[in-house]
Amino acid sequence: MAVAAAGKVIYEQDSIFIHSHEDRSGDQESLVSGVLRLIEKDCEVIVEYKQLEDSVDSSSMLCAGKDSSSVVQWTQSPKEMSHKNLDNQLSYEAEWDMLNTVSFKKKPSNVDGASNHAHERSKWAFFFNVCDLKAVQVKKEGWSHLTIYLKDDTSLPDLHFHQGGSEAFLDCLKKYVSLNESPEKDVLVANNNSKGLSQSFENLLDDTTFGLIQKFKKDPYTTTMGSFSKVTKYLIDAFQGSDSVHQERPPTEMADLLNEAIPGLEINHQEEPGFEVITRVDLGSRPDVQRKEPVTLEDWHANMDNEGKMHNVNYIKHSIFKGGLCHAARKEAWKFLLGYYPWDSTKEYRKVLQKRKTDEYFRMKLQWKSISEEQEKRNSRLRDYKNLIEKDVNRTDRTNAFYEGTDNPGLLLLHDILMTYCMYDFDLGYVQGMSDLLSPILYVMENEVDAFWCFVSFMDQVHHNFEEQMQGMKSQLVQLSTLLRLLDLNFWNYLESQDSGYLYFCFRWLLILFKREFSFPNIMRLWEVMWTGLPCKNFHLLVCCAILDSEKQKIMDEHYGFNEILKHINELSMKLEVEEVLCKAESICLQIKNCKDLPYSVSEIMDDRNEKLIPTIQTVKNGTLEKGLIRTTAQMDDLSKNSVASGYDEVSRHRETSQNVYKLANV
Amino acid sequence: MATKSSLLKVILLGDGGVGKSSLMNRYVTNKFDTHLFHTIGVEFLNKELEVDGHIVTMQIWDTAGQERFRSLRTPFYRGSDCCLLTFSVDDNQSFQNLNNWKKEFIYYADVKEPENFPFVVLGNKVDVAERQVSKEEAQAWCKENGNHPYFETSAKDAINVAVAFEEAVRRVLATEDRTDHLIPTDTVNLHKKPKPSSSCC
Repeated sequence: MAVAAAGKVIYEQDSIFIHSHEDRSGDQESLVSGVLRLIEKDCEVIVEYKQLEDSVDSSSMLCAGKDSSSVVQWTQSPKEMSHKNLDNQLSYEAEWDMLNTVSFKKKPSNVDGASNHAHERSKWAFFFNVCDLKAVQVKKEGWSHLTIYLKDDTSLPDLHFHQGGSEAFLDCLKKYVSLNESPEKDVLVANNNSKGLSQSFENLLDDTTFGLIQKFKKDPYTTTMGSFSKVTKYLIDAFQGSDSVHQERPPTEMADLLNEAIPGLEINHQEEPGFEVITRVDLGSRPDVQRKEPVTLEDWHANMDNEGKMHNVNYIKHSIFKGGLCHAARKEAWKFLLGYYPWDSTKEYRKVLQKRKTDEYFRMKLQWKSISEEQEKRNSRLRDYKNLIEKDVNRTDRTNAFYEGTDNPGLLLLHDILMTYCMYDFDLGYVQGMSDLLSPILYVMENEVDAFWCFVSFMDQVHHNFEEQMQGMKSQLVQLSTLLRLLDLNFWNYLESQDSGYLYFCFRWLLILFKREFSFPNIMRLWEVMWTGLPCKNFHLLVCCAILDSEKQKIMDEHYGFNEILKHINELSMKLEVEEVLCKAESICLQIKNCKDLPYSVSEIMDDRNEKLIPTIQTVKNGTLEKGLIRTTAQMDDLSKNSVASGYDEVSRHRETSQNVYKLANV
Repeated sequence: MATKSSLLKVILLGDGGVGKSSLMNRYVTNKFDTHLFHTIGVEFLNKELEVDGHIVTMQIWDTAGQERFRSLRTPFYRGSDCCLLTFSVDDNQSFQNLNNWKKEFIYYADVKEPENFPFVVLGNKVDVAERQVSKEEAQAWCKENGNHPYFETSAKDAINVAVAFEEAVRRVLATEDRTDHLIPTDTVNLHKKPKPSSSCC
């Protein structure tokens, strides 16, 4: 303590209390009174707490009563307190009770780590350099008390400012260390490193560590991510150079933050069990692929029997995959592709289904329609959804004739369907991007109810994209990164070198399945092709790969950095040609499937259990068989059963279990 | 600090639909598109301009405003030199949320001295007849919350947009200037002519 005392005192306040549980009687709290100082010495600033005496100085202590609205003067004298004996124990009890009603959510104090207590008499004294300050938590329970966390992950005993003054202390502290408010729980996070001013994205890798610590500590998800330390080390080395303060951070902490900030990061984590090292795999050449003519309404009906039951479903799907649909066939076919109509349903059945679905729709529509203004005032979530829907509907495909101009009925339908979807899935509600997904469907259906149920089916597939934690987006970015790594390690390495390995620039592609990248006619084509579920699972990721494949040369030749890559990709919007992209994506799919030594991490992304059905039907119908499509070993089946992160897989399960439509259909 | 390049990163924050993208487009391309899509993900545009003798490239970042996209938006806050807090004068809720936006920015951008960080507040859509937020209210908020400059803008009618962005640049230059000379003052002289930054390290 003597070390600290020698400097210049900048701040001093006495009657700062520590509530100790370690009193003689065991479970009672006793109070340690002390003086808190900020001392400047040799260009260092020390925070010092020294207790005045062993006994309690509670002469002027205030504590909150049970309801914490009343404040009771504590009148116990120090002498009596420190020498309590059995005689007066009882008489104090009432008062102690009162004290104990103030709930101190105090963690067991751990001063050991601070390594600054020696003497029994001063066992509550401590000091630390402000450089070692990690965070301060400010709690108010009648009075303010502060919990100080140091960078070595120790927390100091709570300091109770019974007489106020905590703000003065914090203000004084702020002169020496930057304390940033964290959004939650009154935590001030210290940051005393000098901030680099580089404009590049790499900043997020380091500085995030400070601000987010408290937040992520509370996130149970990240607790499972402890084994990320190796990645952390890797990234620190890669991005930070040598002299960073951050390297002192506990690795797990850093990993948590990185994981959150950079969703695609897991890809780096090769040594972890369950991940495998993807070394250069010889993929062989990409087969030539031809697109075919779209399926016409006549083709469609030709595969329907008298009852209206579809035959040769796999053939039809395959034809749609190869050529898409003529616009006239879309209104009918999309209902099947999306799963609103079961493939094996009869016309009669579909009539019944549609009637039931119509009732169901209007029942839900009535729910939000009948909410009064007064009710709405008390329902902030619905209000927020509604406000945003109103705004976004006016900003969705307004150049399309179906939605252009003011008071266009298309806009009203878009609005009503999205509002009704909020009632259908209130937990999800409305998330930006959903209006983009609905717009082409409504355009094709030209019918509110059909559009709604098709949209519901589509949303089932991409629900995970919009969920609170964006987990679906994150896992897709990881999967995409895995694929890209396999397809072109060179390019992947380049992206990594530009801090873009986590592929954030593909975010918009994935969130709304390329809706903003292609023209309206093109997006209808792309979606119907993707809805066939062919030629592999997660085909949309191969569409990403195909687009990137066409851009990689430019990106590398021009030596684009993080910002330029993002800008370049954003500006591809409406410049892409769908047939070209589909050709390349299919070709990549065949190329990968032809590869014999496909890493598990890749086959897991693309493998589809139903795949074996396709070539069979094809043989029957076409008499030809595309060899590349056959890949149905028992092993693969097992693998895909175990697959975790596949969006489409989840969807198919979801459909099987939760949707009455489908159950009914199977009866 | 003094070696800082003339590239300034400015970020537009505010609720969905207040007109962030429209403001950016109006300023950079001098166009207003009533059919503009709402932003998904993150976009940015560069604009070169001269302010008080300084030529700077302003890199304006535009983000999706919905709460849900926070985790994918916030990494881009880092390294911002200025934050444009945007609301729409016909939407009181967006005004009420300014505080949250400011907090979110300070937290994720890791601003060391929030009280000295240049924020500029924009009340957009003044072309709309039905106002929910008065000029006085907005000015009062700006005054109470760090004396931020306030501009009433209309991306549609091109009112005050350039002025607001230029003020953002001035603010940044003023902050740099002050930091360069290590004057720990709490007041920022808005009208002080920024001196060219000198290299000292």
